[in-house]
Amino acid sequence: MPFEIDAFHLPGLDPRDVDRWERRGYGDDVVLRFPVLDAGVWREVLRRLGTARERALAGRPVGDIVAAVDAAAARLADNDDPLRRTAESALPAITGYSLPMIRLTLDRMAADWRAPVLDRLLTCELGDPRVLDAFTAMPVPRSTVTRRVRALGPDLAFHIFAGNVPGVAVTAVVRALLVKAAVAGKLASGEPLLTVLFARALASVDSELGDCLALTYWPGGHEPLETVAFDAADAVIVYGGEEVVAAVRARTRTEQRLVVYGPRLSCGVIGADALTRGNGPALAYEVARAVAIFDQQGCVSPHVVYVERGGEISPAELARALAEAMAGIQETLPRGRISAAEAAAIHDARATAEFRALSGEPVELFASRDTAFTVIYEENAPFTVSCLNRVVRVVPVDAVDDVERELRPVARYLQTVGVAGVSGARLTSLAERLARAGASRITTFENVPWPPAEWHHDGGEPLRSLLRWVDLEYGD
Amino acid sequence: MLDRAGTLLRGELLERFRAGVDSPIAEDEFNRLALRVFDYQYERNRPYAAYCDRRDRTPASVTHWSQIPAVPTAAFKEVTLVCGKPEDAEAVFRTSGTTRGPERRGRHYVLDLTLYHGSLLPTFAAYVLPDGAELPILSLVPSAAEIPDSSLSHMISVVMDRLGSPKSGYFATVEAGLDIDRLHAALRTHEEAGTPVCIVGTSLAFVHWTDHLLAAGTRFSLAPGSRLMDTGGYKGAAREWSAAEMHERYRTLLGIGPVACVNEYGMTELFSQAYDVALRERVKSLGEAWAISPAGDDAAGVSPRVKRAPPWVRTTVVDPDTLEPVPPGAVGLLRHLDLANLGSVACVQTEDLGRALDDGGFELLGRVAGAAPRGCSIAMDLLLEAAHERRS
Repeated sequence: MPFEIDAFHLPGLDPRDVDRWERRGYGDDVVLRFPVLDAGVWREVLRRLGTARERALAGRPVGDIVAAVDAAAARLADNDDPLRRTAESALPAITGYSLPMIRLTLDRMAADWRAPVLDRLLTCELGDPRVLDAFTAMPVPRSTVTRRVRALGPDLAFHIFAGNVPGVAVTAVVRALLVKAAVAGKLASGEPLLTVLFARALASVDSELGDCLALTYWPGGHEPLETVAFDAADAVIVYGGEEVVAAVRARTRTEQRLVVYGPRLSCGVIGADALTRGNGPALAYEVARAVAIFDQQGCVSPHVVYVERGGEISPAELARALAEAMAGIQETLPRGRISAAEAAAIHDARATAEFRALSGEPVELFASRDTAFTVIYEENAPFTVSCLNRVVRVVPVDAVDDVERELRPVARYLQTVGVAGVSGARLTSLAERLARAGASRITTFENVPWPPAEWHHDGGEPLRSLLRWVDLEYGD
Repeated sequence: MLDRAGTLLRGELLERFRAGVDSPIAEDEFNRLALRVFDYQYERNRPYAAYCDRRDRTPASVTHWSQIPAVPTAAFKEVTLVCGKPEDAEAVFRTSGTTRGPERRGRHYVLDLTLYHGSLLPTFAAYVLPDGAELPILSLVPSAAEIPDSSLSHMISVVMDRLGSPKSGYFATVEAGLDIDRLHAALRTHEEAGTPVCIVGTSLAFVHWTDHLLAAGTRFSLAPGSRLMDTGGYKGAAREWSAAEMHERYRTLLGIGPVACVNEYGMTELFSQAYDVALRERVKSLGEAWAISPAGDDAAGVSPRVKRAPPWVRTTVVDPDTLEPVPPGAVGLLRHLDLANLGSVACVQTEDLGRALDDGGFELLGRVAGAAPRGCSIAMDLLLEAAHERRS
């Protein structure tokens, strides 16, 4: 028997008043239940959200919000907490990720919602987080002018989520709460549950804050519900593919704030300095882990790793070492369940590589017997988007600076570049080139999967992008 | 053109094909033929031989046809899989283009057209014309003269030539697409004369045409005995269409009932085809009376849509993850061993999802290729196009 979970958080909605339910099955084990809302009920939910925000959120010191979020995160970080246990038992079926992957993701994500990290994020972006609570003196650099400034978030931020990486949506909700916005969220069918569990955790530590979140799922394109949310919100935050983003952009009003997190991809660059016999296995392990986490489905996950020639070990040798490391990671952090279509895409990529190798092209294939991992070494290859689920290409380059040219075709999608074996002036020069090529984040392979809370997410400022600033041009 | 050994083997195969689709090939005979074909291909098809060597599956080690290595359809895009010189081919069929550009189209070299025709004609006759009718075949696909590298156009041209009545014809061109006026005029003529017809085309062409019929409010009531053959998926359409939806359109807009709608399962990489069995079975049980049964109430017994290939094809189902055979009746990827592929490679691994049935037929559950991947990083086609722009 599958177990059924209510995957919505709609304060004030009595389940007994719901006439129709939508049930979505995930594998044989889990069924998620969502109310089928009509526009009137949804409008009423959002109206109550506004009232709750006025009462409990708009005037609350940001420090209090941080404390409440921290307490909610603590529940999700606690292995014995019932909410955490629900997450661990349901998320593997919902997302397809293996249990070790889910546990790792929950631990790392929840750590980002803890108080010290949130304080760092607030300080990093705002300088003085008190601007969220009151007019706060902010010196104007190199001037005697004094002014006080205040930062105001939206009243209601309508979020449209996508993807199946657990925690991405929670981070978005946390950001909105920090700027004191109520959140209406259309959850992603790929992973709707964790955000709801977070909302329940928040409500358990602070019921008034819990009343400021309304989260549920409906099938995309439900015009009446979407219209209600677009009408009510003064900010829209959208995660999704090109089509969704374009559709949302088209219906956003001019005075409405729109924040877009569109499709992204990532890659790696390894300089010859790191390619020593001694360092090879450790380096291969870090790269393999960056590919393996989220089964390569994250926007941070590398699709291609460019490896400089001229090191003690060759790019092809690194590809082999990478495959060995992937085999090891399969033992501790197994690849999740994939669909027949995804498996077929992997066989397709392998067959393509293998037959190119057989016809004498400089291509080598290193792969598991099943579809668990695939490393394709390929010379002179244009940037090739991976079919995901741990299929990575290793492409040799004469010099790391050549990578800029390789990345040009995907510049507008580029996000993270993992770098190893490049330091000092070479690193700064490479970073300049990668920045021009479209990258918004350059980091170590170890950190690739886990951007810090204060990162310039896709080149933007996650908190400031939600804020409106007010200057009071009188000193204290 | 096949070499001497190939011509000998072809002779034996053609003899088998001529025995027809109702003449089963016993397991040991199929095995003997398949191993000879494998041996032949291993000796002449170098990339395939290398592929087999890597798997330690060679004529020296393979004793049963199920051990013959299957080549994924993707391989046809990368290498020339032919038992001889590509320039000796009598035709070359290409898969339809993708966003990845023309150089990524699969190519299937036809060393010998007689073997191809020897397979396709008896099978089409058995499943689409099981009553032996000689009908006007009206094609929604341009002629082979216009697109010589389309295996579907080629097949329809051969079928029209050999099995159709003189009133057969093409109602589409590459330039202008479907010629709806001419098609409708022809159909009205046949409708009024009470002559049954056989309409053939891609599923996509049928969608576009029936969209037009719906919008224009045009209906046909084609003579009993009329039928159609559709084929292929819905790539490029706004959405997927279920067989039931299309059957409803065919019934209400054309007057062709579900039994008389024969879906073909074919691909560029295979020289033999599989078809829905429903029409053939109906004709077997009712004889000529099948056509008189009212179009509306013969949906029963049509589902599930069971498909069958001729006896010189063996279909197995493999696990999508490991590519090992699945237990009987389980769902997986279809793998076909087609003896008509003598001149290229006989065993082909598809990306089609299906289930094998006890009697040698199979149920097609969908084509999985091109499904959108999960994750937050993807705008696959756009990215592929972006990557391609650099090359061209």
